[in-house]
Amino acid sequence: MRRDGRTDPFFDGAAADRLVIRRCERCDRWYAPDHGGCSGCGDEELSWAEATGEATLVTWAVKHGRPAGDGTAPPPAHLALVELAEGPWLHARLDGVNASALREGLPLRASFVHPDEGESYLLFRPA
Amino acid sequence: MGEGAAIAGLGMTELGRVYGRSPRRLAADAVRRAVTDAGLGLADLDGLVVSHGLGGSPGIELADTMGLRDLRVLTVMNSFGATAGAMVAYAAMSVISGAASAVACVFADAPLRPRQSSGSAYQRDAREWYGFGGMTAALGFRDVNTPYALAARRHMNRYGTTSEQLGAIAVSTRQWAVMNPLAQMREPMTLADHQNSRWVAEPLHLLDCCLVSNGAIAVVVTGADRARDLARPPVHIWGWGQGHPGHSKERGSEFGLTTGAAVSGPTAMKMAGVTAQDVDICQLYDCYTYTVLVSLEDYGFCAKGEGGAFAASGALGPGGALPTNTGGGQLSAYYMWGMTPLSEAVIQARGDGGERQVAKNDVVLVSGNGGILDHHSTLIVSPHRKGA
Ligand SMILES: [Zn+2]
Repeated sequence: MRRDGRTDPFFDGAAADRLVIRRCERCDRWYAPDHGGCSGCGDEELSWAEATGEATLVTWAVKHGRPAGDGTAPPPAHLALVELAEGPWLHARLDGVNASALREGLPLRASFVHPDEGESYLLFRPA
Repeated sequence: MGEGAAIAGLGMTELGRVYGRSPRRLAADAVRRAVTDAGLGLADLDGLVVSHGLGGSPGIELADTMGLRDLRVLTVMNSFGATAGAMVAYAAMSVISGAASAVACVFADAPLRPRQSSGSAYQRDAREWYGFGGMTAALGFRDVNTPYALAARRHMNRYGTTSEQLGAIAVSTRQWAVMNPLAQMREPMTLADHQNSRWVAEPLHLLDCCLVSNGAIAVVVTGADRARDLARPPVHIWGWGQGHPGHSKERGSEFGLTTGAAVSGPTAMKMAGVTAQDVDICQLYDCYTYTVLVSLEDYGFCAKGEGGAFAASGALGPGGALPTNTGGGQLSAYYMWGMTPLSEAVIQARGDGGERQVAKNDVVLVSGNGGILDHHSTLIVSPHRKGA
C-alpha cells in the first residue's frame, strides 16, 4: 500500500497508532479519510483530526476467495461497516474475531499493522 | 397529447458468453431488431437514448455508427442499474410532449472475456493500491458482492431474515427460468442446492448472486396511437418514478434496510393510478436475491421486515400470488442491468411468455436498482391503455 497525496495524514497517524480522519470544524461533523466534503455546509476543505479509535459493529460479511483448481481457498476475510464513536462509518477489515461471535453493536477498537514494506494500515479488533 | 406512450418494439441480441462483438456493435444490433420488431425502419427513429455498462461504451456516437439522421433526441443516460426505467420514462415524455415520435432506448455491455470467470468481470484488481481507498480495497473491498452482503446481513440482524428465505427467491426465480428458452441457467434448483452452493460473501451464497452476460437489449417507444397500428401489441407505459435515497455512511443510516423503491414505487403507482394490490406481475431488479426481498417490502407488497416470510410463502413462483421475475431474472436468465426486468415485462404484457406466460397480466411493475442500493427506478406497464 502506498500514499496518494490526498489521504497522507491518515497514514501519518496510522504509523503512530493513531486514527486520523476528516472533520468539519464548523459543523462538528466527522467523516471518513477519503470523504470529499462536508455534507452539512458544503466545505470542501475538511480538516484532519484524531478520533478516539472506539467503534461499534454495524454489519459484516465474510468474504471467501474463489477456490483454486486443487480445491484450496484463501482464508476468509471478515469485512465490515463499523461506526466510529464520532459518528462516521468506515469500511473496515476485522481482525481477531470469529464469525459466530459477531453481532450488531459489538464494541471494537482501531488497531494498526506496521508491515516491513509499504504503509501502516488499519484493522478493527474487539474492544 | 392525451394518448400516452407505449413500447412498440423489443430487440434482444444473443445474451451470455457472446464474444467477438463490441458493446457498440451489440447495441446497434439490438436497436435494429427492436425497430424491425415494431414494424418500423431505422429511418423512422427520431430519438436514441443510450446506456452503457462500466466500460463506458457505447455513447452517443452510436447514432453515427448506425447512420441515424436528423434525430430530435440523442443522449446517454446513467443511473447505473436504474437507467432502463429512467430511459423509458424520458422516451415516454419525449413522445408525449412531441419532442420526438419514435425513440429507441438501448443498453449494451460486454464485460465477459473468453476463459475468464464471471466473478472477475466485476472485480477491481491492481498491482499496487494507493491512499485510504486503496487500503480498503487491498483489505478486501474490491468487489460488488461484499457491500451487498453487508446490506443483506444488516437486514438479517434487524428483521431476522434468513439465508433460506433468500434461497426461496433463488429457487422460485429458477422455476421460471426453466420455462424460458432465453435463460442461461435452466437446470432445476432446490433449496438444498442453494444452501450447498459455495459462499461468495457470507451471508450470500453463489446462488444468491446474478449472472454476468454480454449482449444488448433495446426497446422502441412511440405514442400509444401509433403503436396500435404497428406490428406488435403495444405495451402501454402507465407510470414511472425514481428514488435516490442518498443514505449517508454515518450513524442513523438506513443502508441495507430501505431502498429508493420506497419513493420510486409510490411515484410510479400514483401516476399509473394503481396500488400495490393492483399489480399482477413483478419484474424486479435481482442482482442479488436480497435486492428482490428488500424491494418487495419497499413497494408495499408486504410489511417492512416481512420480505423473507413473503418470499418463503411461495408467492413469487409459478402459480403464486405475485408472479415475480417470470423470465428467470438476472439470477438465472441474463444480466442486462435494468433491461432484464424490462424485457420480460414486455414479453409478459404482450402475452408472449409461452409456457411461462402469466394469465393475468394487466398491470406489470418493473424495477431498476443501481449502485449499492443507491438508485432506483420503477415503471408500471400494461397491455391496456391507462384508464381504459
Ligand atoms: Zn460543515
